[in-house]
Amino acid sequence: MNFTEFFTSFPEMSKSGLRAFKKSVDGAYRQFSREYGDAIEAVFDPVLYFLIWFEKLLQNSPWIVVLIVFLALIYFGSRSIYLTIGSFIAFIFIGYFGMWEDTMSTVSIIGVCTFLSIGFGIPIGILMSGSDRARASISPILDIMQTMPSFVYLIPVVMLLGIGKIPGLLAVVIYAIPPIIRLTDLGIREVDKEVLEAADAFGANRSQKLFRVQLPLALPTIFAGINQTIMMALAMVVIASMIGVKGLGQPVLKAIANQYFTMGLLNGLAIVVLAIIFDRVSQSFGKRLQQHRQGSHE
Amino acid sequence: MHLLKKLIVTGIFALGMAGFSSQAYASCGKITVAEMDWASAEMFAHIDKVVLENGYGCEIELVPGATMPTATSMMEKGEPDVAPELWINAVRTALDAATAEGRLHYAAEVFSDTGEEGWWIPQYVADANPEIQTVSDALARPDLFPHPEGDGGGLYTCPSGWNCQLSTGNLFRAFGGEEAGFRIIDPGSGGALAGSIAEAYEKEQGWFGYYWAPTAILGKYPMKKLSFDVPHDNEEWNSCTSQEDCANPQKNSWVVSSVYTVVTDNFKQKAGIGMDYIVKRSLPNSTINALLAWKDDNQATGEDAAYYFLENYTEWHDWVDFGARLKIENAL
Repeated sequence: MNFTEFFTSFPEMSKSGLRAFKKSVDGAYRQFSREYGDAIEAVFDPVLYFLIWFEKLLQNSPWIVVLIVFLALIYFGSRSIYLTIGSFIAFIFIGYFGMWEDTMSTVSIIGVCTFLSIGFGIPIGILMSGSDRARASISPILDIMQTMPSFVYLIPVVMLLGIGKIPGLLAVVIYAIPPIIRLTDLGIREVDKEVLEAADAFGANRSQKLFRVQLPLALPTIFAGINQTIMMALAMVVIASMIGVKGLGQPVLKAIANQYFTMGLLNGLAIVVLAIIFDRVSQSFGKRLQQHRQGSHE
Repeated sequence: MHLLKKLIVTGIFALGMAGFSSQAYASCGKITVAEMDWASAEMFAHIDKVVLENGYGCEIELVPGATMPTATSMMEKGEPDVAPELWINAVRTALDAATAEGRLHYAAEVFSDTGEEGWWIPQYVADANPEIQTVSDALARPDLFPHPEGDGGGLYTCPSGWNCQLSTGNLFRAFGGEEAGFRIIDPGSGGALAGSIAEAYEKEQGWFGYYWAPTAILGKYPMKKLSFDVPHDNEEWNSCTSQEDCANPQKNSWVVSSVYTVVTDNFKQKAGIGMDYIVKRSLPNSTINALLAWKDDNQATGEDAAYYFLENYTEWHDWVDFGARLKIENAL
């Protein structure tokens, strides 16, 4: 009101106005979730069924079968006998310390999240690389996704979709998808102009340019993105557990609350082990893919 | 930098003027109060802050807390000095030992009607199915309380690490929940547990699980607490129901939830007459529910609720002596 007051305290909105604003937004959201909650839930139902089926498959199959399938995937992904042996020891360690079931839950949800992130992320990244306008509008959204504290949107999502796998999946994908989008965009934009001119000169059309020239040349950067996406998905395991996703995050939370240091460390290490295996396999798979492509170009 | 210093000095000077009981500062000094992360505890922490600062000249620092970590830290390190609202069932054995040694002291029983814990169902489900009175009645109807992942019924338990997760799990076994077609759902955090109740209410779906009162959630979403239909067996509760390695849990009723303010010996020495206040600070559940409902309606913080209480209610006049009361009223 008076001159000094203006400078000493920020001219803020009146308390009642702010309260009315908060209440009306909250009320509108409640109204929205009451009316559309069931419909939106139905959209996600197929994903939920798949997640449940996949988790049960991993948990209920004999552990030895799951282990052999994992090791085979690791070997064919990496073609490294050392990595395969190392993974074998790591899985034995996980199973022996009683973390097999939780690890299977984590692998199932993180696996699905990673595939969804890659499946949606690469096309969005391609879209972004093709148009500066798309990039300008998508970039701030990615910034929000990476920095907004998860619980800010998770509790409203829980009100909309209930507790458990689907909100967990959304949380993980929202946090893990930005690197693959950004690095796909960056990789394609970094492809040499002269190479593209050469492709033009050979009469390549748009999709030929994209699939035969830009994407193969961008592959190292894209794989760096996939790598980051996997790492960030695993980093969200504990947050996802805070809205009821089963897996290695729950014992971590329990350990924190009860100060069971060993239990926390063991389960934390299991997450680390998964991350290292995923990382090494995807990296060496990416490298082999590039060598293969380069070979065919020569 | 210099300006900042000057500002701080002026600020401290102004605070000193506002306190206008300089000798009380010497007798009380710096006190840390745990501010737990649920509504009523937030409010009590701020009430203590206002009263002890203005009425008794203490210098209060609020530190974030949660039941187990705060209790452990108070027992082991004597920090923080005050836990305004400690649900002591979870830590009773260790706490009794610490009070016997004189390191900690029980003060007021914060909820004069005690807290209520147990398994609840929404009021609309109870109204539509009046035959559901006990836990066993609810367990007989998995169709009314579906698990979010399909296949039978679900019972929402406490988040990992809360002691009530153990009791809920053991009672679930004792009442044959699994045989009845139910599975336990771990919500992962207090926020998610509350969110699941809100979701059920907005969609008018079934919900069956653990909660406690007085809370803003139960003020906002009326729920019915189910009876366990057996008398409470305290020995069984302490030796088995609330323990992790309970081999053969028996049916039992939920223990009466005592909620106390707990203070360190250090606080008792320093606070002087402030201790008289802290042993009297207690409210009936109806008042707390009203305050929490007001807090929720106004999207208020714990601090706002504390001021609202001190400005509009008179219960606290009996907690403090007349001199302190005048000082607090002046400060409001």
